[in-house]
Amino acid sequence: GHGSARQVALSPRSRSYGRSCVEPPSLFWQTPGRLTALGQRTPTARGAAKAYNITVRMYTVALLVQNEWKLSYVTPLYRFQYTKLKLYSRHLAAFILAEKQQGVAVEVGMEAGFRVTFSAVFGLAEKEEDAETVFIQIYSKPMFAADTPKMVWRGWLTCVNGDPEYLRSLPPDFVSLPLFCSNGSEYLTARVKSWFGRTFDCSFGSLCLSSATLNWLAALWTGCHPTCDIGYLKLYWSMPTQPTLDVEYTVNPHDAWELWNSICAQDGAEDMVSVEEVQRFMAGLETHLFRHFKIYLSAGSLVKVSTALGSAHQDGKIKIGSSDYITTLLTLLTECALLKTPV
Amino acid sequence: MDGQAKTILQRIIRKIPNKKLEVTLKSWDRLSTEQLESLDCTQPKWLFLENLISRCGEKRLGLKAVTKLEMVYYIDNPNQGTWQAFQLMEAEDDAVSVSFTQFRERFKANLEEDFRHISIRMKKLEDGAIWIRIAWGDNFRKPNHLKPTYVVHYLQTPYVFFLNFMSKHKPFLYEALFRATRHTSIKEAHLSGRSLTALRDLVMRQYQQVFPTKDRTLKERNGTPLHPNIEKEHAEYAERRHQMACEAFGDGILPKLERAVYKLETRYRGNSSNTLNDKDELFRGVVKFSSSNLLQSFHHCVATGIVEGPVTPLLSSITQKGKNYFVITDKVPGATH
Repeated sequence: GHGSARQVALSPRSRSYGRSCVEPPSLFWQTPGRLTALGQRTPTARGAAKAYNITVRMYTVALLVQNEWKLSYVTPLYRFQYTKLKLYSRHLAAFILAEKQQGVAVEVGMEAGFRVTFSAVFGLAEKEEDAETVFIQIYSKPMFAADTPKMVWRGWLTCVNGDPEYLRSLPPDFVSLPLFCSNGSEYLTARVKSWFGRTFDCSFGSLCLSSATLNWLAALWTGCHPTCDIGYLKLYWSMPTQPTLDVEYTVNPHDAWELWNSICAQDGAEDMVSVEEVQRFMAGLETHLFRHFKIYLSAGSLVKVSTALGSAHQDGKIKIGSSDYITTLLTLLTECALLKTPV
Repeated sequence: MDGQAKTILQRIIRKIPNKKLEVTLKSWDRLSTEQLESLDCTQPKWLFLENLISRCGEKRLGLKAVTKLEMVYYIDNPNQGTWQAFQLMEAEDDAVSVSFTQFRERFKANLEEDFRHISIRMKKLEDGAIWIRIAWGDNFRKPNHLKPTYVVHYLQTPYVFFLNFMSKHKPFLYEALFRATRHTSIKEAHLSGRSLTALRDLVMRQYQQVFPTKDRTLKERNGTPLHPNIEKEHAEYAERRHQMACEAFGDGILPKLERAVYKLETRYRGNSSNTLNDKDELFRGVVKFSSSNLLQSFHHCVATGIVEGPVTPLLSSITQKGKNYFVITDKVPGATH
């Protein structure tokens, strides 16, 4: 079947590095020999951030906004069908309960069972090739019927502006939702992943964000300022000293935008942002600090970027601060996920 | 033991880690040896507390004893929050001869004049530190022992450290300090952190300082000749960086400061190819450096070249001026660099 063929294709490569027990630093992960869904095609230019304009399902989008999400990538789902979401809800709930009754779970507590809801979030997909986002909520049913069920886990799978060429190349039975975001106990996250793996023959992997991705976010968010107050631009570096030195730079949003604007104004191409502009923006901020403190921030690593629109951490944790410009963020993260997805 | 005393005792016991309970109760010095032995510090806190309350009952200990327990614990473990350093100014002629007794009487009398309800405890330690615990009340309310202010002062020095103090009490506290220490004004030192010891060591310069040596200046003046042996040259570079690090941040075990904050109100300083150069507007931002031992981290930065030497005054001011909060402005407003 297709599954075994894919696994055969997968396993030798994941072994060939000989250091699979160590998570390689994301910067060096894109070695030329590695095959990923996007190959080497990291874009060097992107559209400037555009405000997100949806009227449908605002309630669910609001759910995406409140929490911190841990990111993973997912390989394409085999025979996933949007018409079967109710069935999936029942199956996942039964699966979690069964696992729990095997005595694996210790942390889940005193629940009589779980209620799971799968729902499709229409309106996030941008291109025709993008599959609709799937949102999953898990409630624990209390022992006493009088108590209301408590939400214990939530997560979603999405694809926003995924590479059309790649998406079109998938066999018809596959649905690609490469970005998986979860919020809740590690235990439940592992159960959900395991159920997906068994049901749709897919696999998950952790998604760390490279400093290049964080740079893009810093620049794209800053570019939003004239139309949407970003509140602040915060950059966090970690320096390899003994003990570790953390540097947190909060830039006035207007002044950050002035710098960004002066860089973009030189190039003139409207609505498109190039990687050179992003690099010059970040270098500009680092230079400003160097002129004051004579510190080489490039000796350390950029670990986090945040504005009122959201935050993103190197270790693959994000927060979405506002539903405006959510598309920009998800486009970038979808691309990161596809870049890490093995074929 | 009344309800209030019990509540406060509970709060204190909850704060003290199990392994520190025994030592703390011993230095509290209110229970007999037998009573101490009858208590089991490994018990869950709630059970331990019940037993402790009954021992206190046997000894008829009340609120006063309980506040002493808190003070004993804070003195041994001062990292209970953020301490702020202040500096007394304009000393009167007799400031140098103030004794602890005089200090205590004047300080208490002054605050008790202002407040009908106030509780003040004071203790002088062997190292000369005066520890003061103040629970504030007002004309109508009894002192609030749940939110006491702590003040630490070293007699005959201008330094005072505050923990948990509210701005509404500021003028009264200042006035009491002026009278008690014979000074007439006070200013914020812009130095704060969890470690009281670090703040004290920094302002009183009680750490291993390194001063520029003649030897080094001579070497620099003569210039380093291009050495055929590159390794030796590297070693000299490393040595010089180490020396610069020591001069700026000290040597050996450094005061454990956790952070330094710089509010930048300067114009943009980029490289020549960068834009914004012609602008006169400020490029505003805040830079926060933090570490479990900031001076140690900076020392390491300079020694390894992550921070280029000679160390900028912005960083060396932390030790030179004993500050960790700075507002940085351009020297001449309106002029371009």
